[in-house]
Amino acid sequence: MPPLTIISLIFPPTIYLAGHWKLWTARVIALATLGVMWILFISLVRDLISVNPNVTTYTQGIVSFHFDYLSVLITAVVLALSTLITVYSMKDIHDEAGEEKYYALVILLVGSVTSMVCAGDLFNLWMWFEITGIACYLLVAFYSGRGDALAACAKYFIQAATGSIVVLFGIALVFAQTGSLDLAHIHIQSIPLMIVLGVIFIFGFGVKLAIVPLHSWLPDAYSQAPTGISALLSGAVTISSLVVLLRMLAMLSGLALDWGSILVGFGTVNIVAGNLLALAQKDVKRILAYSSVSHIGFILLAVGIGLFSHEIGGFQSGMLHLVNHAVMKALAFIAVGTVIYARFRPNTSLMIDDLAGLSKRDPITTFGVVIACLSLVGIPLLAGFMSKWQIFAAGIATANPVLIFLIVFAALNSVFSLAYYFPIINAMFLPERIPPRRDVPVLMRVPIVLLTAGVIILGIYPDLLNWLVIPAGQRLMILFGG
Amino acid sequence: MTPLHFVLATSIILLGIGFYGLLVIRNMLKILIAIQIMVKGAMIAFVVAGGLNGQINLGQSLAFAVIAVDTVVAIFGLTLAVKIQQHFGTLNVDEAMHLEG
Repeated sequence: MPPLTIISLIFPPTIYLAGHWKLWTARVIALATLGVMWILFISLVRDLISVNPNVTTYTQGIVSFHFDYLSVLITAVVLALSTLITVYSMKDIHDEAGEEKYYALVILLVGSVTSMVCAGDLFNLWMWFEITGIACYLLVAFYSGRGDALAACAKYFIQAATGSIVVLFGIALVFAQTGSLDLAHIHIQSIPLMIVLGVIFIFGFGVKLAIVPLHSWLPDAYSQAPTGISALLSGAVTISSLVVLLRMLAMLSGLALDWGSILVGFGTVNIVAGNLLALAQKDVKRILAYSSVSHIGFILLAVGIGLFSHEIGGFQSGMLHLVNHAVMKALAFIAVGTVIYARFRPNTSLMIDDLAGLSKRDPITTFGVVIACLSLVGIPLLAGFMSKWQIFAAGIATANPVLIFLIVFAALNSVFSLAYYFPIINAMFLPERIPPRRDVPVLMRVPIVLLTAGVIILGIYPDLLNWLVIPAGQRLMILFGG
Repeated sequence: MTPLHFVLATSIILLGIGFYGLLVIRNMLKILIAIQIMVKGAMIAFVVAGGLNGQINLGQSLAFAVIAVDTVVAIFGLTLAVKIQQHFGTLNVDEAMHLEG
């Protein structure tokens, strides 16, 4: 088993038990575990660079893990976000009921997502998919004394559990047809079965990925979860299902079927639906949740372009947008979370009007929110612009009239999204109405400053991510036989 | 059509029954039962799949692994049902999900 998987199995119970003894030990062990995970991750990447096909394989019986550059991309994003969020949460959920469970579950979530994206056989992959799901359900219902959180969790649980059972059934069908569970060696030959399996997998993973008709759990779950978890879910966990879905579709590709155009279709619908639904919202975290739906659409669109045209540009721009979206959405959620921390009880909804007066009271946070919102719109010189630009460039390069029309449409939508970010920015400069209850501690400001710097630096030097993004795009090309 | 194919058809029917249940039932406990029926369908599909391609041991052991994971999901669902009953005084999820959106 890969070392990160072993860590994720050993440490969550340790953190939970230690937290029962003394709460501060849970915080220390959680941070130390993340530190160990970083060291192991860096050594894994160094091993990966030195081997030739750029895949490190771990095999035990029929269980296998293939650690490749796609896994590196998701692991890097998850680890970076979870480290920042653990630091942030130390103050945010300080002395809440069940704080030790929070840290244990975050570590479990990191480990299970990492294992899921490098799982090499179908059943193992489903196992980690389910463990990721369970950790997510528990974290969404963290404020279990609050009715809305329970209802959001129930909605998420019922939909996601159904999705994962459908995936399990699809895996049983693959097993029945081929007699093998190894992702690398399965190639489905019959076209009807391919269509059935494609529908099953797009539906099953689509629930977790919030593809549009299946997205209704997302705004509730994101707005009711603790702020750190909203950031982690929207940035990394939701999107990791996309990588798994792509691995599944790679198994089904090869013949005449074109999954690319289907993904482009879903992506466009996601962009439109996310933008339109966000317009009607007054709750800031729900606006950010719906904007996540539309950004998932951009990533689907990019990957779909890559699949459709067999060009690496689509995949690379999609992966770049994945990383950028994680950084900017985490910044938005965390910065908004500090306002909730300063002005309200920990589990209150934050309406747009409640942001009034933030610019005078807290310039650092205001700057963070403004940068995050502008970057999510795609203003030049910020991270969101660079990746959206690359997606549009990849789409134009296909010279397909329908795709170019969709790209223009997506670009207009991207401008249109300013309509719901602008009230957030505007509200912060209005006169103050709610005086703060308490000051924001320095420890909560550290992630905001780091992420703001990240958005600006990635906007000016997007090439900094080339080591991560280009090999991941190449790996996707190899998976789809290009 | 061998007998195994009939069993596979049964598992698809179980999946359908569970899915129909999810669509029409609003009681949290009964929803959990519907989810369980779907999982049992998928589990039978694994055993049948093992039988169809001569790897009966593998198919059955995978089905056992599904039982283990499925139990965790069921326990989580029951905990959620208890919490919902305590908080809202009802198991009806429609009444609990008054969230707009």
